Amino acid sequence: MDNYQFLQQWMAGNVETPIFYLICFIAIPLAYGVLFDGRIIRCGFLLIGVFGMISGIFLLLQAQFLAMAQLMIYAVGITLVVVIALMLTNPRLEHDVEPSVPQHQLPAAFVAVAAFLTIYLSLRSELWPIRSVETSLATYNVNQIGIKLLVDYALPFEFASVLLLLALIGAVMLAKADHSDAARSQEWADADPDYIDRKEENVVKV
Amino acid sequence: MSSKSSYLTMAFVALGTFLVCGYAYGYGPMVMNLLHTSTDLADVLITLLVFAMAVLAVALGADMAVVVVTGTIGIFVALTVQQPELVRYMTLAALLFCMGMYGMVVSRNAVRVLMSIELMLNGVNINLVALSRYIDPVDVRGQVFAIFILTVAAAEAAVGLAIVLAAYRNMSTVDMEKFTLLKW
Repeated sequence: MDNYQFLQQWMAGNVETPIFYLICFIAIPLAYGVLFDGRIIRCGFLLIGVFGMISGIFLLLQAQFLAMAQLMIYAVGITLVVVIALMLTNPRLEHDVEPSVPQHQLPAAFVAVAAFLTIYLSLRSELWPIRSVETSLATYNVNQIGIKLLVDYALPFEFASVLLLLALIGAVMLAKADHSDAARSQEWADADPDYIDRKEENVVKV
Repeated sequence: MSSKSSYLTMAFVALGTFLVCGYAYGYGPMVMNLLHTSTDLADVLITLLVFAMAVLAVALGADMAVVVVTGTIGIFVALTVQQPELVRYMTLAALLFCMGMYGMVVSRNAVRVLMSIELMLNGVNINLVALSRYIDPVDVRGQVFAIFILTVAAAEAAVGLAIVLAAYRNMSTVDMEKFTLLKW
C-alpha cells in the first residue's frame, strides 16, 4: 500500500481507531504505574511515557504544534524537574514504605469512579455538533496558532510571559540553599515551646 | 504470587478480553435482542459485568494490579467503541483526570501528588484539543487554550517542586502524613 492510499484511509477515519486504541492501551497502564508504583523514581520515568502517548493523541487530533510543545515542555522539561526533585528528596532511592495512605483509598476510589461515570454519562447523552473539515496541514496549524496568539489573544500571551518570569524567580528563590537554617531553627525553638525539630526523627537508619 | 492466583488472573484477563472483543465486534446487540432488552444499554451492562468479574477475581485472590489495569482497559473499550470519536477522546480525558484526582488525594509522597496534578492537567488538555478538532476546526481556540494551560502547568510544576525541596530541607522528608505543622 503506497503512501497515498494510507493517507486516504487516514482521512476517511479508518486508521485512526486502531491507532487511538493502541495509544490508549499503552497510556493507561503507564498512568496506573505512575500512581501505584512502589519505587518512586520509576514513576518519574513512567511519566515520560504518559506524556509521549498524549503527544501521540495530539498528533491524531491534528494538533501538530501542540504535540511538539507537549514533548518539549512536558516530556522533557517537567519530567526532568520531577526526576531531579525525586533524586534530591530520596537520595538512597529507597522503596516507598506505602505508596498510598490506606484510610483514604476507598473513599477516593469511590469519588474517582463516580466522577468518571458522571462525566461519561453526560458525554454520551449529548448531541455533539461535529463539523468535519478537511484535515489541516502542519504549516497551516502553526500559522493559525501564531495568528491567534499574536492578534486575538495577545493580552493573555503577555500575561503568560509575566507569569513565567514570576515562576522562574519564585522557584529559584524558594529552592536555593539557605545557609542560615541553624539560626532559623534556633529562632523558632526560642519562640515556640512546642516546636519539635523533626530532622533527627526522620532520618532513615539503614 | 501462588499459581492459583496467577491462573485466576489469567482467566480474568482472558474472559474480560473475550467479552469486550465480542462486544466490540458487534455481538452485543445480538445478545441484547435475545434477551429482549434495549440495545442502548449494552455497553453499560458489559461494564457492570466486567466490574463484577474484577471484584470477584480480586476477592478470590487474583493479582490486584493486573486485574485493575485490564478491567479499566476493558471497561474503557466497551464504553467507547460505539460512540463517535469525539466522545472517545473525551472519555480518555475523563479517565486520566479521574486517575490524577485519585492519585492526588491518596499519595503519600509529595512529588507523586505533583505528578498526579500534571496527569489531571493533561486530561484537560486532551479534552480541549479534541473539542477544538471536532467542533471548532477552523479557529482552533481549544488548542490556544491548551497552550496556555501547558504554560501555566510548567510554571506551577516548577514552583511546586521548589516548595517540596524547601520542605525537604526543613523536615528531611516528603511524606505527606508528616507535614502536620498546621494541625491543631
